Amino acid sequence: MIPTSHSLILAAALFAIGMLGVLVRRNALVAFMCVELMLNAANLTFLAFARERGDVTGHLSAFFIIAVAAAEAAVGLAIVIAVFRARGTVNIEEIQSMKH
Amino acid sequence: MNDFLPLIPAATLVVGAIVLMLSEVFLASANRGYMVIVATLTSVVAAVAAFWNAFEPARSVLQGYAVLDPFSSFMTCMVCVGTALSGLVASSFLKHRNAERGEFYALVLFAAAGMSLLALSNEFITIFINLEVLSVATYSLTAYLRRGGRPAEAGFKYFILGAFSASLLLYGAALLYGATGVTKLDELERALPLAAATQPALVYVGFGLVLAGFAFKVAAVPFHMWTPDVYEGAPTPVTALMSAGVKSAAFVSLVRVFLAMKGALPPEVPYLLFAALALVTMVAGNLLAMPQRNVKRMLAYSSIAHAGYLLLGVAALFAPAGASAKAGVLAVTPLLGGTAVAAGDVYKGLLFYLLGYTVTTVGAFGCVAAIERREDETRTNTWDLERFAGLAQRQPGWAVAMAAFMLSLAGVPPTAGFIGKLFVFSAAVDAGLIGLAVAGVLASVAGTYYYLRVVVYMFMRPSPDEATAPFRHWTMDVALVTSAVAVVALGLLPGPVAQWLSRAGMMFGHF
Repeated sequence: MIPTSHSLILAAALFAIGMLGVLVRRNALVAFMCVELMLNAANLTFLAFARERGDVTGHLSAFFIIAVAAAEAAVGLAIVIAVFRARGTVNIEEIQSMKH
Repeated sequence: MNDFLPLIPAATLVVGAIVLMLSEVFLASANRGYMVIVATLTSVVAAVAAFWNAFEPARSVLQGYAVLDPFSSFMTCMVCVGTALSGLVASSFLKHRNAERGEFYALVLFAAAGMSLLALSNEFITIFINLEVLSVATYSLTAYLRRGGRPAEAGFKYFILGAFSASLLLYGAALLYGATGVTKLDELERALPLAAATQPALVYVGFGLVLAGFAFKVAAVPFHMWTPDVYEGAPTPVTALMSAGVKSAAFVSLVRVFLAMKGALPPEVPYLLFAALALVTMVAGNLLAMPQRNVKRMLAYSSIAHAGYLLLGVAALFAPAGASAKAGVLAVTPLLGGTAVAAGDVYKGLLFYLLGYTVTTVGAFGCVAAIERREDETRTNTWDLERFAGLAQRQPGWAVAMAAFMLSLAGVPPTAGFIGKLFVFSAAVDAGLIGLAVAGVLASVAGTYYYLRVVVYMFMRPSPDEATAPFRHWTMDVALVTSAVAVVALGLLPGPVAQWLSRAGMMFGHF
């Protein structure tokens, strides 16, 4: 059996990659994928701990998170399409019309 | 059956939303005037149901996944009032743009249902789901107007940072689950002290991530970067809903989550974190708002500053009684001989502040929406101060209402904003946070400058020549009159409301 710590390290790495991606990458779709990566890292953490403890709460949480992430993805993609229609680009750097 | 009492307001809102959505599909009529009435009535019924719930004794319901306590019921009531007022503002705004559709009101009501459920959630996954219910609805509302690139851009920014903060919160919850094996807040409260001793790394990182997730939602500095762009780009009635509802619901949930966690940590840790957040947020919010000539953007920064005043109240809740946390301005000087602060006073202060802020901010954004013209949507000076010049001659009613909202935001008597600040600051002083309270008062004095500048423009500058008559619709007038009357009435006669809110000291598990 794979030790829990392995799953946890993988989850932490996924979370860190996702977080870095949101902050660094300039393509809206990639940023969006990175957010999904972060949600799934949280999911994996829940599952790893749930398996270690033999507890059902963590497994249940994962199902709810998947459903919520799907709903969020639908709205998120719709917004990305709206941005593309309005601007003709999904580069975050070019989506800066409001001045500070 | 009693377990379902707290769900009645949310259920009412969802039913109203479904009716509106179906009517958009099946009633193929061009006349959509009834929609705003349905939406407003639904919110009012939900508000009455929530108010009724506030007199139920505080208890845990639905197997511990939710609580029924006056704190969350009053909060739901406020959210419903804010929703009704934003709906009225939206009706006039959307009619002018020929964009009134059932799904807009349905999304507003779904968001309100999410806020109501978030206020009573007592378990991490429930909190996450309800946070997402309200967020997904607000993301769509932000990008609702498809004219010009601004709403889509604001929607995208809100979506990415909202989803980012939700995943921070969720990962934090996962780590806390790993440390304790539970996700219900009351069980967490019992299990956390032991876990903090055996696995401090998990607990502290989890605590930090959950705090960062909430800080994004309430727009505390340094997690506020998204606020000005999103508030400016979103349709103005949606901005009103965001600053009134989303923020209040997130605050209630934040208080609930951190009260459950505070036992496991040294008392200075949560206190110093909240006090530092409050200080930075108050100061930065006001400083950033000062140079803004764009009134909508100025109100966005002002909402950051107001989050800071509320965080001051939250810090008062966590002030270590009798302990000395020495950190300059953040020092605690217990005045009451080391006795714990009456948490009830803090809850009352927070709720009164949120109530006053809800009616004020919806009214202020309502005024901004009222004078906005659809021809200006793609220009950059749509909300410039010049647009308010001479409003007192053109639209005296609106000018007087806007003046009342500005005075309330600045905290000048006799308005709701003044009484709210008084309650929050006096609770903070009672808790010994004198340095922080003084900083708060100074910050709000500095804030008076940019609020009064709007009043000066409205009453003392001549009207520009090209000013055209704005679009008028009765719903806007109803919303503005109601909020202006509420702002002044709460300022003149805070007694009865404050007395009701004293009941809110009954937060489940923390009396």
